[in-house]
Amino acid sequence: MAKPSQPILLGLALSCLVATSAALAKEQLVLAIGGEPEQGFDPLLGWGQYGTPLFQSTLLLRGNDLSPQPELATEWSLSEDRLTWTLTLRDDARFADGTPLTAHDVAYTFNAAAKAGGRADLSALADANAVDDHTVTLSLHSPRITFIDQLLTLGIVPHAARENGYSARYGRQPLGSGPYQLVEWQEGEQLIVERNPHFYGPTPAFERLVFLFTGEDASLSAAHAGQVDVASVPAALATQLPAHMQRVIMESVDNRGILFPMQPANGEQADSGAPIGNDVTADLAIRQAINLAVDREALAEVALLGFGRPAYGPADGLPWSDDDERIEAPQLAQAEEVLNTAGWELRDDGLRYKDGLPARFRLTYPSSDTTRQLLAEVSAEMVRPLGIEMQPTGRHWDAIQREALHQDAILFGFGSHSPQEVYYLFHSQHAGNGYYNSGFYANPAVDTNLDAAQAAESIEQANQYWRAAQWDGTSGYGLRGDSSWAWLVNLEHVYFANTCLDIGELGVAPHGHGWPITTNLLDWRWTCD
Amino acid sequence: MRHAQPRIRAAFSLAVTSLLVISLITSQWWLGDSPQQMQFDTRLAPPSVHHWFGTDALGRELWARTLAGLALSFWVGCLAALLSTLIALSLAALATLSRRLDALVSLLIDTLLSVPHLILLMLIAFALGGGTQAVIIAVAVTHWPSLARVLRAELLQLRQAPYVRISRALGKSRWFVLYRHLLPHLLPHCLVGGLLLFPHAILHEAALTFLGFGLSPSQPAIGVLLADAMRYLSGGYWWLGVFPGLGLLLMVLSFDRLSSHLRRAL
Repeated sequence: MAKPSQPILLGLALSCLVATSAALAKEQLVLAIGGEPEQGFDPLLGWGQYGTPLFQSTLLLRGNDLSPQPELATEWSLSEDRLTWTLTLRDDARFADGTPLTAHDVAYTFNAAAKAGGRADLSALADANAVDDHTVTLSLHSPRITFIDQLLTLGIVPHAARENGYSARYGRQPLGSGPYQLVEWQEGEQLIVERNPHFYGPTPAFERLVFLFTGEDASLSAAHAGQVDVASVPAALATQLPAHMQRVIMESVDNRGILFPMQPANGEQADSGAPIGNDVTADLAIRQAINLAVDREALAEVALLGFGRPAYGPADGLPWSDDDERIEAPQLAQAEEVLNTAGWELRDDGLRYKDGLPARFRLTYPSSDTTRQLLAEVSAEMVRPLGIEMQPTGRHWDAIQREALHQDAILFGFGSHSPQEVYYLFHSQHAGNGYYNSGFYANPAVDTNLDAAQAAESIEQANQYWRAAQWDGTSGYGLRGDSSWAWLVNLEHVYFANTCLDIGELGVAPHGHGWPITTNLLDWRWTCD
Repeated sequence: MRHAQPRIRAAFSLAVTSLLVISLITSQWWLGDSPQQMQFDTRLAPPSVHHWFGTDALGRELWARTLAGLALSFWVGCLAALLSTLIALSLAALATLSRRLDALVSLLIDTLLSVPHLILLMLIAFALGGGTQAVIIAVAVTHWPSLARVLRAELLQLRQAPYVRISRALGKSRWFVLYRHLLPHLLPHCLVGGLLLFPHAILHEAALTFLGFGLSPSQPAIGVLLADAMRYLSGGYWWLGVFPGLGLLLMVLSFDRLSSHLRRAL
């Protein structure tokens, strides 16, 4: 709904910003990188899972090599039975109102997040306890190898019982110990933040940050007009670099692929009322044929202009993904054989049929996303010679949730620094739960491997199970098994940044559109006078 | 043409519009899959002998997509204008049945005219989930008031005509009078009104789609082509916006001219 008013509002906002920027020298940065959270800036509801939580601090930080680094916690350990985490907190951390952050706030955050049911998965948490002001213990029901991800991503909020503590309004009025504090948030338009004077870390180089929540077109126009310092741009537009800006590429594990509904349509509906199932995509041969027909190299070249690479799984190149999960494609002859064997006959109208059912289904994508639109249109064209008609259909996200989520093939994007995402995507426990396993994928053998990975004694052992879930020699969620997705490409995140802005050394971004570039915000410097 | 006789100008206008309509109606047969066919080695090619209007980011021929877009707009415009005219006619007829109904219809007309078109269009299209049907309904539901006001005034005037009063005095029912005596007089008004609505309808369809509330971005609608072109204009790919824009202008102008001539003639 924000799109129609964006050009006018953007113009007004930018006029004000340009007028004030001269007086402020370069104390202020204007960023159009997206990432506005629907649920507000509340870590308990999911804020901060991608990129920096900005207002809050996490217990640990992820280094560029993905290893945990100290942040609020200076020391941490896991008991031998792998059921209790003990963390020692730094003693100089303060919230933006000047009050100290203690172990009581940490314990409250974890206990409350477990009850809140947000994106942070704390189902393994039995209890969080403050031993003293600077020591906290987190007790688990059962060993959970990915629990450390919550220490890396969950921003700490003030205890509800204290002054300015957590409340239902927290998402709109966040108070944390992070480098910045909120000044103003006009939903759908802009977010203004300023330095937190009580931040324990190095002082950020910029006093004020303005995040403009504009669409792709408006962001690109603003970049060309010199009215933003950093703009996130879709890969398809990445060659249109304005003269005064540099192109910044951030490697990522952010991928795009087609999620197939796995159940036949038998009239069932999800709790939301959305219909479940699709008779065409529920057929393994259709999914295998599409995976064989899609030319991922060409997709990366055409839809991403080379700012990306082929994808074969949800976590290509990461230790919990099987490197053998590759496919030489396109293999149209083999795809046709698969379809013929399965009884899909090609008729004169160019379409395949099985028992009168045409091989036709919608491929839905969010209409505001250029990259997904291009991927949908090109991949539909690639499978057309097989006699499979994927109908690219652009919809608003709420329409997708209401109607398409469980019955259409969806062009989704995922990609995480944690194998926890694999668990969400493919475990039957998460079938129909939000976007993750919205295709109702369920395979007992995969579940067994995923559960074994979570209970593993070491990261190495867990990785073996994660990889086995993808393909264990007889079964798996991947290309050689159920082909539950047709993974298409891994993106490079592309930004246009002012040539005077030194972004520093960027890590590898997870999914999260433009926001992950904020991860090393404290390293950013202005290099011009 | 400036000094040509009105009849010649009207004939010219009719010829251009007819040619356009025939090409649009038959386009789906002779265009085939051309609007969707991708040629990855000729992406964003400028206009040339081989690519008359140039190509888009996926190497699709823009002339084919422009024609397909105009054809789509034509059908959407036709249906929306027809539906809108039917709504206007029905409500105008309803207004003649009693004073209360007349007041109600007048209130409805005034209320709708007081709300900005585009906002109402967006709200309705969004509420209906977008897509072709939603656009047709949204355009139809928002474009009838002006025509309804004209038809209502005409009906009120006709109601006082001697033959209508005689018919009523002879005991004919209100429905009979409406059907036999009043509606036949309104057909020319409906024809001209519908034709005048048509350019509005297609412009608003294109606007809705351009703003992201209308047809799916995967359909080669004019609004979609223009919205796509916006992203590439800063890269110098002017043809992506110019040709679909000119096509839309030609269609709107030709129908507008034709309906103006028709209005004068009637």
